[in-house]
This record gives sequence, structure tokens and C-alpha cells, in this order.
Amino acid sequence: MSDIHPITRRLLWIFFAAACLLMYLPMLVTALASLSRSRFFIFPVSKYSWKWYEDTLSSLQIEQAAIISLIVAVMVAVISVALAFVGALAYARYDWKGRKSFQYLVMLPIFFPQAVLGLAVQLWLNTLGVPMSWHSTVFGQLVWIAPIATLVIAIQVFAYDPAFEDAARDLGATRWQAMRDITLPLLWPGIFSGFLFSLLLSWSNFPFAYYTSGADVTIPEWLHAKMIGGYTPMVPAVGTLSILVGAVMLCGGFAIAYAAKTIAARRRLATAAR
Amino acid sequence: MAILELRNVDKFFDDFVAVDRVSLSIEEGEFFTIVGPSGSGKTTMIRMLVGMDKPTNGQILLRGEAINDVPANLRPTCMVFQSLALFPHMTVGGNVEYSMKCKGVPKPERRRRALHFLSVAHLPESYYDKPVTQCSGGERQRVAIARALAFDPEILFFDEPLSAIDYRLRKVLERELKDIQRATGKTFVYITHSLEEAMVMSDRIAVMRKGRIAQIGTPNEIYRSPNSHFVSEFMGEVNSFKVRPEKAGSLVDVESGRAIIVEPDAAPAGFKAGVLVVRPEDMLMGRQIPAGAACILKGRIVNEYVLGSRVQYQVRSGESLYLVEKIRATEDAEGIGSDVEIGWRPGDARVFDEPLQ
Repeated sequence: MSDIHPITRRLLWIFFAAACLLMYLPMLVTALASLSRSRFFIFPVSKYSWKWYEDTLSSLQIEQAAIISLIVAVMVAVISVALAFVGALAYARYDWKGRKSFQYLVMLPIFFPQAVLGLAVQLWLNTLGVPMSWHSTVFGQLVWIAPIATLVIAIQVFAYDPAFEDAARDLGATRWQAMRDITLPLLWPGIFSGFLFSLLLSWSNFPFAYYTSGADVTIPEWLHAKMIGGYTPMVPAVGTLSILVGAVMLCGGFAIAYAAKTIAARRRLATAAR
Repeated sequence: MAILELRNVDKFFDDFVAVDRVSLSIEEGEFFTIVGPSGSGKTTMIRMLVGMDKPTNGQILLRGEAINDVPANLRPTCMVFQSLALFPHMTVGGNVEYSMKCKGVPKPERRRRALHFLSVAHLPESYYDKPVTQCSGGERQRVAIARALAFDPEILFFDEPLSAIDYRLRKVLERELKDIQRATGKTFVYITHSLEEAMVMSDRIAVMRKGRIAQIGTPNEIYRSPNSHFVSEFMGEVNSFKVRPEKAGSLVDVESGRAIIVEPDAAPAGFKAGVLVVRPEDMLMGRQIPAGAACILKGRIVNEYVLGSRVQYQVRSGESLYLVEKIRATEDAEGIGSDVEIGWRPGDARVFDEPLQ
């Protein structure tokens, strides 16, 4: 850093501050709005209160929506990682006929606008006569999220040297042993980020839920409904809480990864001492 | 009986012939090296030998039993990979023990045997708990060898594991590898593109070219009596002359028209045209070279390369450049710019029958 001209450095700092402000100010404003006592979205906030948070936390409707959102997110994350793991191996590891077409096909849903894709899934489910509920939302979101998880894991697979697996097999490992002892642990960082990514994308996803959840309501749907008809500061309150839940998921993920690393290191030290 | 035998083995990739009717047999306890330039089919060979590829035609026999279709994990052989492929998330001990873990050997026994193989591979026992990512290049080589030995294979294969190691360390590791082979009595099959590596370690060498075996022999046989222009060139720098027969005991250099004296049986029967090859260390050079030389070329020294104990001179004669190698101690005062005569004794040249380009 020392060889950067002072003016350049100052400009870089200004740019950094501006970027932070532009990105995070809206969230801050939302948080502020949720603390206003007044029913309306007016600045400056004249009186602060926790009233809307109390209302939010005691609302059965919101509790129901949060539970549904959470279940959907966990289901989507688990299923999409399972699909994405094998998908990423096909995408990046093995050379097979039709691999190129498979790569394009996997990417396709990401290029569609989500609203269009959501509508398409809804029409399709209607045609098939599948009843709409959060079950169908899991399916709908998977169409969009599983390809993204596949890409995230594929990046890890591209960096993975197949010679590791060959070496394990050569040393007498069965396919399953090589997968369990070598491939899975080495691809683990990718699988884990794929899982976190899917969880967060599903948690905040609105378009698919809107088209496919039927009578069930997720948090983003609830926010949308309230914004259209019947704004109260509960909207920014739920929004802020929703951001917090996302942040907790992310931090929780990192905490688990960190803990696993520490435990492994401690175990290694323990065997070394013996 | 040979421990490993290949009978008319072919490997095609679509239309490309990677290995073309190769037959050879490797004896128990032998250090056998397959050497060839890149694209000669040696990597395809080793992949078939360890079971990662299947031959298109022919048979691979291990102690007389066909193993063409036996996958790598069921073969009693093991390979040290070019990239080494040490498992980066494991310790040195974890790597060495892995084959025993797959077999279900109990932990204390695994550890005991792993420590033994670490010492065989010249690694201290304290390395058992070291993460493999913290080992240096040379240490990683030794871990890879220990891991392969711990599998207790009938044959150990090596796919150019030393190619990425710097010269001095490579020399040390080559010797160590030869020592380990002698101490354990295992059969080693080594693949390399480097003649030097092959020469130092091998009991026998197979030279490959375009998917075929060009020659098999001891290092000395291959160096002293190459059976083709390709092998003689591959085994070290040479001076080559395009020649045609003139009369008994003499050939003519196609480019200069100069007569070259050869031994009566030097050229094969019915020889029409070919290449005459002389190694740089067999060249004579001086202000005046002794009578009885095969021919005398007048030239000037244009370059001098010191190769440690020896010196190589590049001599320009007419349009062509020739290499002459001398032991430094016996050298006269000739240096760059000196006018010299070069030549060789008729017995030091080899003639190969092959079409002239």
C-alpha cells in the first residue's frame, strides 16, 4: 500500500465509503423506519418505539410465514445441494458425450427472469393438476436455485485433481471409499458454500413463492402483500428481522466451518501428543 | 517366469494409435524404465499397466495371468503419480496408511507399519503427524514412495515423479530410489522422458517411439549399440551425416561428396542410403589429427561449453556445425577461433539404414 500516491489512496477511500453508503444506507433506513411510532413512512422519525417489533413477534400470521419460509429454505438447500453435487461432477469432473449440452442446459434457468420462470412453473403445475402449497414452492425454487448451487460446487470440482481419486483407487479403495475419504472432504468447501448460498437465496426469494405457494405465505410474500395494501411499520420490522435471520444463517455457517476446523486441528494435536 | 508380460498390446483412441503392438516382459526384481519423447505412448502404456485404461487388443499378464480387465483397485500393483497425488487433507501418516485403512488394518498396526515405511523412504518418524501440505518437494516425493510401498505391491509404477524437481535434488532422489529398489527387492517400472534418469537407475530400458518399442536393452547396450538413428539421437547429442555407399569399406557424404572410411561390416547388407552417426566424445580434434581417421574435416571452433568435468566444442566446417567433446584435463590450448581438424576412427561410427529426407 505504501507505494500508492496519497491522492490515489484518498480517492480509493472515498470510493469505498460511497459504495458502502449506497449499499447499506437503504437497509439502515428500513431499520429506522421500523422503529418509528407513527403508522406512516415519514422522515425524520419523530418518536421511536419497539411497538412494531412487539406486534411482529406476537403475530401468529408472521410466525406461520417464518416457519414456512424456514422449512422451504432448508428443504431447498438440502435438495439442491444433493442435486448440485452430482450435477457438478457431471458438469466439471467427467468427460462424457453430451457434457457440453448439459452445461448449457443447466445454465438456462438462470438466464430466465424469475417472474417468467415462476409463472411457467405455476402453469405447468396447474396442467399437471398438482395442488399449490409450500411443497410446490420448494420445487419451483429448485428450478432456479439448484443450477446456481451446481455452479458454486462446479468451481470447486474444476480445481479438483482427479488424480487424487485415481490414487485412492490404485491404493485399493473401492468407489465408495474413495468418494467418502477423498472426493467429499476435498470438495467440502464448495458443497458447504453451495448449501449456504441455496439457503439464503431461498429465504429471500419472492417470485417463485408468489406463483407457486397457493394459500401458504412466506415472509417475502407477506412483505409484498402488506406493501401493496395496508402498510404499517411492521413491514420494515419484518424486513429488518428477515435480514437479521439471513445474517445469522451466514454467521452460523461460518461458525460451523470454523468449529469443524478447530476440532480437526485439536484432534490432530491430540494424536501427535500421544 | 516374467512378473509382467505384454503380448501384442494395442491402444487406440478413436483413430489415433497410441500404443502399437507392443510386446515385452519384465523380470521379477528388475528396475525397468520406459523412456520416450512426449507423445511416444509411454503414459498410455503405464495407464494400461496399472489398470486405469484397458488395451484395445492384446494381453497384459501378471505372473502369467491375464489382468486386462482387472480394475486398478483390485490389482496388486501401485503407482507413484506424476503429480504425486498426495491427499492434501491428510497428514503424512494418513497418506502412508491409506491403503491399510482401506483393507481394514487396525490403527496401532497401521501406525507401526507406516513408521517403518517412513524410515525406508528416508523420512524421520516425527513426520507421521505432519500435514502433507507442509512438506517440501523432496519430502513429498518420499511420502509418495512410502505410501506406495505401504500398499506392499508386487510392482511399483512411477509416472515421471521427478520431472518437477530441480536438478540437484533429482540426482539425490534418483539414487535413493535405486537404493530403495535394491533394499526392498521390489520390481520397479519407471516412465520418463529423460534419458539421464533412465540411465542412472535402470537395469533395463525400453525406448518408445510413436507407440512402438524402438529398442530394449541395458543402459550400456542402448548407449553403445543403438539400433536406429532415432535411439542414438534420443540417447544423447550426436553428429549425423547423410551417406550413400561408394565402394567396399567406404561411404560418401551426400552433402559434401566427401568419402568416409568405415569398417567393412558397418553398413547393413543391401545398404542404399542412410545416416552415419558419431558421438561427440568419439570425435578426434587437433591442429592435425592422426592418420587412419575415417575422414578429415577442416574447421574452426565457434563455441565452447564447459560441462563440469568435460568440455564441448562446436566446430564449423563449411556450412555444418559439429560437436566434439573432450575431457578437460587432456585439452590442448585450442579455443574459440582456432583452426582445427576433426574426424573419428572408423570403428567409432555407426551406420543406420533409413530413407534420406
